Amino acid sequence: MTELNRDAIQAQLKACTSKEATFKELVSLSKQLERLTDAEKIEENKVKGCESAVWLIERQENGICTFQADSDAKLMRGVLMVILSLTNGHSKAELQAMDLAAELNEFNLSSYLTSSRTNGILRILQQIQT
Amino acid sequence: MSFDANTIRDEFPILSMEANEHPLVYLDNAATTQKPQVVLDALITYYTTSNANVHRGAHYLSDRATAQFEHARDRVAQFLNAPENSYVIWTKGTTEAINQVAHGLEWCITPDDEILITSLEHHANLVPWQQLAFRTGARLRVLPLTSKGEWEPEYAHYFNEHTRIFACTQISNAIGVKTPLKDMLAAAKAVGAFTLVDGAQAVAHYEVDVTELDCDFYAFSGHKMYGPTGIGALYGKAHALDVLTPLQTGGEMVSHVTYNSTEFNTLPYRLEAGTPNIEGVIGLSAACDFLASQDREDMLIWEQKLARYVYDELKFNNDIEIYSPAIDTTVVSLSVPGIHTLDLNGYLDSQGIAVRAGSHCAHPLMAQLGVSSTLRASFACYNTLSEARRFCDVLLEAIEILGDD
Ligand SMILES: Cc1ncc(COP(=O)(O)O)c(C=O)c1O
Repeated sequence: MTELNRDAIQAQLKACTSKEATFKELVSLSKQLERLTDAEKIEENKVKGCESAVWLIERQENGICTFQADSDAKLMRGVLMVILSLTNGHSKAELQAMDLAAELNEFNLSSYLTSSRTNGILRILQQIQT
Repeated sequence: MSFDANTIRDEFPILSMEANEHPLVYLDNAATTQKPQVVLDALITYYTTSNANVHRGAHYLSDRATAQFEHARDRVAQFLNAPENSYVIWTKGTTEAINQVAHGLEWCITPDDEILITSLEHHANLVPWQQLAFRTGARLRVLPLTSKGEWEPEYAHYFNEHTRIFACTQISNAIGVKTPLKDMLAAAKAVGAFTLVDGAQAVAHYEVDVTELDCDFYAFSGHKMYGPTGIGALYGKAHALDVLTPLQTGGEMVSHVTYNSTEFNTLPYRLEAGTPNIEGVIGLSAACDFLASQDREDMLIWEQKLARYVYDELKFNNDIEIYSPAIDTTVVSLSVPGIHTLDLNGYLDSQGIAVRAGSHCAHPLMAQLGVSSTLRASFACYNTLSEARRFCDVLLEAIEILGDD
């Protein structure tokens, strides 16, 4: 899996001064996301309540969580890169103690995250924390 | 009278809004239209001068409210050109109207019967019939219309002596194509079926004439024709409405009740349980007035011109596939293979442009078209050529940004 550098991603998105630039950056991030296989994109891995299809897989090793996620929509894949950069490499207890929605707000994504899209993303964050 | 979009635009306060720091370009009119000031005023005036329950208290306000409420019924009947011996029943909208009919005819449906719909239906005109078929053992059949709204003579056998109900949309909400209603209704009537027309997508654009259509039932929603949400109507011929079992029971729809029996009221009240959406009814009446005061023919020509402009701008673009017809429509439904419609929608939205991305409550039709969703721009009388142009420009921009692989 590509290095998920939270600070680098945040810096890149914060450097976007226009919506066009933000969308371009999300597209560029989306390309770095490691895709799931068709065998992994099954109903039980689907996150309910998202506009686009989103699949989320969790692995734990020595108490450390690694998530993998995919979507059929490119911009969502970009957002998933951001989310994974926040969540991977933490224990469940750490994740539960984090305010993930607030942290996501630090990425300058408001031009993309409308309320209906935000609802779906909150579901993803919830699932990551449970 | 002549029609001018820029003049009419001023009557819609919401259209001067900004969305995401851009002027709002509202092209999601097939989902719901915006409301003109006259409709908004009618709601306020009702509450400030006439609010009371209808048909109940014998007092000044109740009389006023009841008079306006019943006047609205006449107004809508006139709007539909309803013949003698027919009624307008208030419903929440198209969905409730269709459900009332599907529920209401259950008593007379047998396992030997067929319920016929077309392949262009909104789920609202599919699921109630499918569920009715499940409950009664009847067979749901789907007349395959092409995405151009055509049907082949070889499909005539879909109308046969088993066909008890034929329910069909006048215009497809997903791709904006008109169905060959006249021929199909004639075929349905020839075999003695009940006929229902889903007019949800027609009422804002076409002058509806239920006398000419000669259908048993016609369903539509106020919110898609510049009226408020939560109000619509089921038009029906008296003999057809008479046989319907009420979907709901309760106040006003009865004439006498004992613990052992209920005598139902006459039409239209028999099918209107509970306190109705009085403000909605009055707003819908104002929407009928609004439409009647326009040159409807010019208005439709304008809306079609906007759709045609978009169609012509995009038709030679190899990235884009268009599912709507070139002419005689107010909708352009398209997809860009390789780019998710939600992504396109996300970009358009960020630029202040409201369209709809999705399956448009028509999953089987999407399957027929071979896509999972489309992006739909749908026009109303207040849209302008510069909005149509901006939609095209921003769509191409979106494809440029999102298509980068
Ligand atoms: C063709 C068609 N039928 C039925 C409906 C359902 O209308 P409502 O949700 O107002 O009941 C719609 C609304 O999208 C429609 O377009």
